[in-house]
Amino acid sequence: MDLLLDSLKSAFLLLLACDPELFTIVGVSLKVSAISTLIASLVGVPCGFLIAYSSFYGKRLLLTCLNTLLAMPTVVIGLLVYSFISRRGVFGSLELLYTQKAIVIGQVILIVPLVTTLTIAAISRIDNRYRSTALTLGATQLQMALVIIQEARYGIGAAVIAAFGRVIAEVGISMMLGGNARGFTRTMTTAMALEYDKGEFVLAVALGLTLMTIAFGVNLLFHFFQGRTHVDTL
Amino acid sequence: MSTLYRAEILTKVFKDRTVLNIDHLEIEKHKIYALIGANGAGKTTLLNLLAFLISQTSGKLQFCGQEVTSDRGHLLDLRRRVVLVDQYPILFTGPVWKNVEFGLKVRGVSKTARRKRVEEVLELVGMETFIMADAHKLSGGESKRVALARALAVEPEVLLCDEPTANVDEENQEVILRILERINVEKRTSIIMATHYLAQSKRLAHHTLMLEYGRLSEKSSLCAALGSSTG
Repeated sequence: MDLLLDSLKSAFLLLLACDPELFTIVGVSLKVSAISTLIASLVGVPCGFLIAYSSFYGKRLLLTCLNTLLAMPTVVIGLLVYSFISRRGVFGSLELLYTQKAIVIGQVILIVPLVTTLTIAAISRIDNRYRSTALTLGATQLQMALVIIQEARYGIGAAVIAAFGRVIAEVGISMMLGGNARGFTRTMTTAMALEYDKGEFVLAVALGLTLMTIAFGVNLLFHFFQGRTHVDTL
Repeated sequence: MSTLYRAEILTKVFKDRTVLNIDHLEIEKHKIYALIGANGAGKTTLLNLLAFLISQTSGKLQFCGQEVTSDRGHLLDLRRRVVLVDQYPILFTGPVWKNVEFGLKVRGVSKTARRKRVEEVLELVGMETFIMADAHKLSGGESKRVALARALAVEPEVLLCDEPTANVDEENQEVILRILERINVEKRTSIIMATHYLAQSKRLAHHTLMLEYGRLSEKSSLCAALGSSTG
């Protein structure tokens, strides 16, 4: 118990002192997570809309596959991407391994299914009359899609926030593809794992506190969007 | 007589159920048609077909002498001439003015012209004081009037109304019926309205179409069936 209390006290002091190493790590984490979430949203939201609004052979199978991908362990994605971008891999010449780009690639693969399935759920909840009303008022297919996305914006916002929460807390992809290089690819989770290995709990606890604060903020946002969705459907 | 719609052997089948089976239908321009029938008679399906929101399973449908095809561009052109007001109209999230200007905005009408038109139609339906109100906070009757204003804003050639006075208090019913009468006389807008009420049909419609189990039927038998709901 003393160890935890001492670590907590030192961690707070580290945070108050605005330790540069700590802030570099937090900055890298936020940067790669934000880029991954942005790319995954640009892919996942339109895909989710198209899947929710089209009927095609194999749609159920596709939904099952997407749901299965939600449970994909980060280390599996790490291994998969590694096999492509390592020196002997197809994209080895691009020298992506152990870069922030590599982490982003892995994280995008991790959360595209999440954004897509949550977007499908958000769009499916939207009353079909929005679609017919937009069309009868003379909207094109694209304008109709924008109406639906506008009506489902809180649900879609919640999907994006959930995806951000997923990537900022993951460790497998960042470790395997980023390599935990100090000041470059070291994220909060990989730094915590390293500090734990070294028996240095102070930085690990400080990072844990920061991560929990960010997670709390993300959850506050998530509940705000969820609440708005609920209110809108009443 | 100039024909607005002409349908021949028009059917609509949902899964295994034939909900519409019309041998021949001809609708004239600039007139008010009342579409009467019991629940499940196919009124809403017919209105959706006439609004080009769904396509027929078989048969031919013509609009102003032009065959209706499933081509997207062609359908968009047709939809921009016809507007359907739903039985339970849904308003988009946001203020009333944004709802009313929607049809104009998607047609690329300028902001100034949109604003002017929004004010005009809201005044027409007696909702001008609600221009900035949150659309989702309106009552049922107010929502119907805003939905009607939204439809009228684009000055459609044909206005299709599914039960325009259903679930609306008497005061709002009267307002809605007067607006329909007025736009038919002043703008020569063709109106096709589905209703349960024979009294409304008698008051407004130049022609009454009876639907029974998806078929156009003789007036007498259905009048007897609906005799109790002539509100």
